[in-house]
Amino acid sequence: MNRRMRSLHRSMGALVALFVMMLAITGMMLNHTSELKLDQRYLTWNWLLEHYGVATVEADAVFLLDQKVISQFDKQLFVDAQPATQVQRPIIGGVVIDALMIVATDDALILFSPEGEFIERMSSAAGVPPMIQNIGLFHGDPVLQTRDGMWRSDFLLEQWEKISLSGISWSSPQPMPDSVEVDLAEYFHGKGITVETFILDLHNGRIIDRFGVWFLDVFAVLIILISLTGLWMWARQLR
Amino acid sequence: MRSIVAITLLMIAFSVFARGVYQTDEAFLAETFNNELPKSQVVWVKGDLRKSIDDILGHRYAGLRIRYWHKDGRKVWILEEIGKEQPITFGIITARDKIEKVKVLAFRESRGGEIRYPAFTQQFDDAQLKGNDLDRHIDGISGATMSVRAMTAIVTLALYLDKFTRQ
Repeated sequence: MNRRMRSLHRSMGALVALFVMMLAITGMMLNHTSELKLDQRYLTWNWLLEHYGVATVEADAVFLLDQKVISQFDKQLFVDAQPATQVQRPIIGGVVIDALMIVATDDALILFSPEGEFIERMSSAAGVPPMIQNIGLFHGDPVLQTRDGMWRSDFLLEQWEKISLSGISWSSPQPMPDSVEVDLAEYFHGKGITVETFILDLHNGRIIDRFGVWFLDVFAVLIILISLTGLWMWARQLR
Repeated sequence: MRSIVAITLLMIAFSVFARGVYQTDEAFLAETFNNELPKSQVVWVKGDLRKSIDDILGHRYAGLRIRYWHKDGRKVWILEEIGKEQPITFGIITARDKIEKVKVLAFRESRGGEIRYPAFTQQFDDAQLKGNDLDRHIDGISGATMSVRAMTAIVTLALYLDKFTRQ
């Protein structure tokens, strides 16, 4: 009986040793979070960011205008990874004319400088045809497809004439370029996962969600068992 | 207990009802100019004007130009300012250095919608500039401090722009 208990004690000890070391090391590190600046250091490993669900962002709409990426997240419009202005309606397209980036919603045109600075929102009060369905270019001039037909203007965007044309280059949505997505992910989720968060989640098992908690429980039971078997053997030796 | 729940629900309902578009820009302009809309004009926000506008608002104005409509000495400004988190759209009529009318066209905040009531907006009637401030004190509304501040700043801005466009 004593030999069997000793063998069980050894097996459990080997299994638990690694786990106890991990707990001890992470526990000591967490005790010195400030001194080690764990809350100011960031981990940006791709697998870790994906594990925490902060590696990617999903825009409602993306349009590539010249060298700039226009994207919409809810009511916020971004030029590249910089918040540019708020819009109340979904963006449906965009074009570039001369020194102007024009983004269309169904009820207005939103103008940006080539550097991406917001200029103005032009609605039908400024002469823009309402009920816009798409925006495109025809020989460098902006063209709007509306429910009421097709309209063409010049760079001032104040006078619109009704037309019927073919061969218009219509704006269409594009996938988000990876480089901008990385910057936007940083904008929304921060610089990455702090070392403190990572160590803490390792320490309490939550690094593997709810399974981690069960995993820890199993090891806790093993530690209890190893303590009991140790005590039992010690008691036997005393007799 | 029931009455507390009822009052709470009522307050939530009122704050939700306060959100919305009360009048479109186009309808406000049509009403102001009796359906004879003048061609719009723009002011470019740059140089000293940029500095003055930023001072009046207390932050950088988000835009490079401001559009307005001018006819028979009356100018309409449709301007937006964030109350707490969301932009509030204001329609403002200026005439001969004074405020003729202020109206909340769209309110998107969860609180502070009381600023749309005429009982509040009529405080701005005939308001003028005194330096770069309003010539009067505007009484606040409990629970709508940020919205009141936004409206006061935007009315001051409209008067300043009115003056600027006459130079």
